[in-house]
Amino acid sequence: MSSGRSITRSFSSLLGSAMFRYIVRRLLYMIPVFLGISIISFFVMYAAGDPLSIIRIGKPDITQETIESLKIYYGLDKPVPIQYLNWLTNLLQGNFGKSLRGGRPVNLLIGSWAWETVKLQLISILLAFAISIPIGINSAKKQYSKQDVAVTSISLFGVSMPTFWLGIILIIIFSYQLGLLPSAGSRGAPYLWWDNPILDQIAHLIMPVAVLVYVMLAQNIRLIRANMLEILRSDYVLAARASGLSERKVIYKYALRNAIGPVITYLGISLGMIIAGAPMTEYVFSWPGLGRRYVTAAMELDFPVVMGITMIITMMTLIANLMIDIAYVYIDPRIRLR
Amino acid sequence: MASNKKGEKIKEKSKRRPASQWAVAWRRFKRNKAGVFGLIIVMAVFFVGIFGSFFAPYPARPNKDAIKPFYKGDVRKPPSWLDPEEPNNFKYLFGTTPIGTDVFSDVIHGTKYTIYVGLLVTAITMALSIVVGAIAGFYGRWVDNLLMRISEVFLVFPALLFILVFVRIFTLTVGDPFLTIPIINIQIPAGLTIVVVILGLFNWASNARMIRGEFLRIRELEFIEAERALGASNTRIIFRHILPNLLSSIIVVSSLTIAYAILLEAAVSFLGFGDVNTITWGQILQENFSEMRIVWWAEIFPGLAILLTVFGFNLLGDGLSDALNPRLRD
Repeated sequence: MSSGRSITRSFSSLLGSAMFRYIVRRLLYMIPVFLGISIISFFVMYAAGDPLSIIRIGKPDITQETIESLKIYYGLDKPVPIQYLNWLTNLLQGNFGKSLRGGRPVNLLIGSWAWETVKLQLISILLAFAISIPIGINSAKKQYSKQDVAVTSISLFGVSMPTFWLGIILIIIFSYQLGLLPSAGSRGAPYLWWDNPILDQIAHLIMPVAVLVYVMLAQNIRLIRANMLEILRSDYVLAARASGLSERKVIYKYALRNAIGPVITYLGISLGMIIAGAPMTEYVFSWPGLGRRYVTAAMELDFPVVMGITMIITMMTLIANLMIDIAYVYIDPRIRLR
Repeated sequence: MASNKKGEKIKEKSKRRPASQWAVAWRRFKRNKAGVFGLIIVMAVFFVGIFGSFFAPYPARPNKDAIKPFYKGDVRKPPSWLDPEEPNNFKYLFGTTPIGTDVFSDVIHGTKYTIYVGLLVTAITMALSIVVGAIAGFYGRWVDNLLMRISEVFLVFPALLFILVFVRIFTLTVGDPFLTIPIINIQIPAGLTIVVVILGLFNWASNARMIRGEFLRIRELEFIEAERALGASNTRIIFRHILPNLLSSIIVVSSLTIAYAILLEAAVSFLGFGDVNTITWGQILQENFSEMRIVWWAEIFPGLAILLTVFGFNLLGDGLSDALNPRLRD
């Protein structure tokens, strides 16, 4: 009884809290952005003209009757704004339409591809952040030391390198020349690597993860280092040092908390892109995920699939942005909830 | 006597024109080894891009399917300096492809396209972002709000994915592989130009937000207030007073945008969405990707060219940033 009352009380205090109003306001802000992207996405289809004419190019002997029935099947016989509204209502109900190739429902296709991408991306993002934070901090602590110069030039190299090319180099060296790792796919197709399903999975993950981590690492380290440098020169760090705190405490308890902001923004962007995957990395390693499927769908102009994947990425990015904004409030109390 | 001497010295100095901010920046830039290294790489890339066709061992080639049999040289030859059967170490510096073209020549002929992509994408991006940033930052209120919402749409956008779809749609419409610009009579590659325009149209958002921020900051400074009190028009304030103050930031951002544009075009071409009639570096990578088990040299060297060029522009950008905005120096 008393616990029930405390739950209602805490719930009503949550409703009235500044945090709740803040979240609601941010959610409302997301609506126009979402609609804007959905409108642009939808009208991209019409820049291409009639998707059925593309089918006709592929199958010249198709009859006019078949075309008409296909038109009705895909709902292409209605006026454009009606088509948009139909598409949007379907989308909000989780129905993404049917693929122009084979006519299978897009949400089923996406569901079956998404897991591979999420697996690859989550592992890479976690690794990248775990590695980059200590390296960035150390680099800032000893600015212009040999270690710092090495780290900064390697990370500048990282942002200058085409992602897919790093993948190509790894495949050439480790798969083709040394024969140590599989060059394609997400699991052993002809045989199991290292005679064990789990080890096989790891063998397939090593190179794609290495590529993704390296690219993210480069970005992250540059961000953390630049922020840390600025903060280590600030007055409150000087004050913290003067009051006799250990260097470790100064850095990890006071400075890091302030330096982490832009990193979290970047983390949010990466989380939003989890679903998008890295199309180039997936393409190079023939990873059966969403990114590679997107490239194929764009090549074949399979619009329902392209639009479906785009809208999912958009939603993920918006949600990730919201999560970042909320995280900011907890990390940095100076941010006012407006 | 001494004071007199001092006075003369001061007079002598004041006869000389004071060092302009550009001269000061150049002096600061010269001291930055990484920046100078970047500048050297960039100048070398421009040199190869402009004069490359004079010293490339083989002429520029058409697309993969249009190659005539007589054009074909040796097929799948490794770089000559690695090939024990090849007496001439310099015959094929980067090896040859499965269709018998010389990778070294292809890389040299591709350089001009890389420069074309980098400069034109950046020109479009910067023009758009300056216009949007200036309007949003100067006029504020609802205009600002609207433009910033639009830029948010572009930031949230999965840009690469959208670029792929757009490029695919519009390159389908290309007829002639080359367009001739009437008056100056220069040929430009049609498909590549479509790619470039689309890349330019999709990347303005973050630069526009940066320029808007600077506009907001400078708009509130006292000298603008003074100018306004003197009765200057908005146009005069924007073009004569705010934009010149932004020039250094614009130069720095442009250099970094060139680097980014080159990477993006390489990615688009590599994924198979590029213009098959212009052999850019990304295009070489795409053409030989399926046979890279054998012709690994045709993947490694064009990629190295991309890496080096982008690295050069990034170093240059960082160096310029240190030289022009010493306040922002890490």
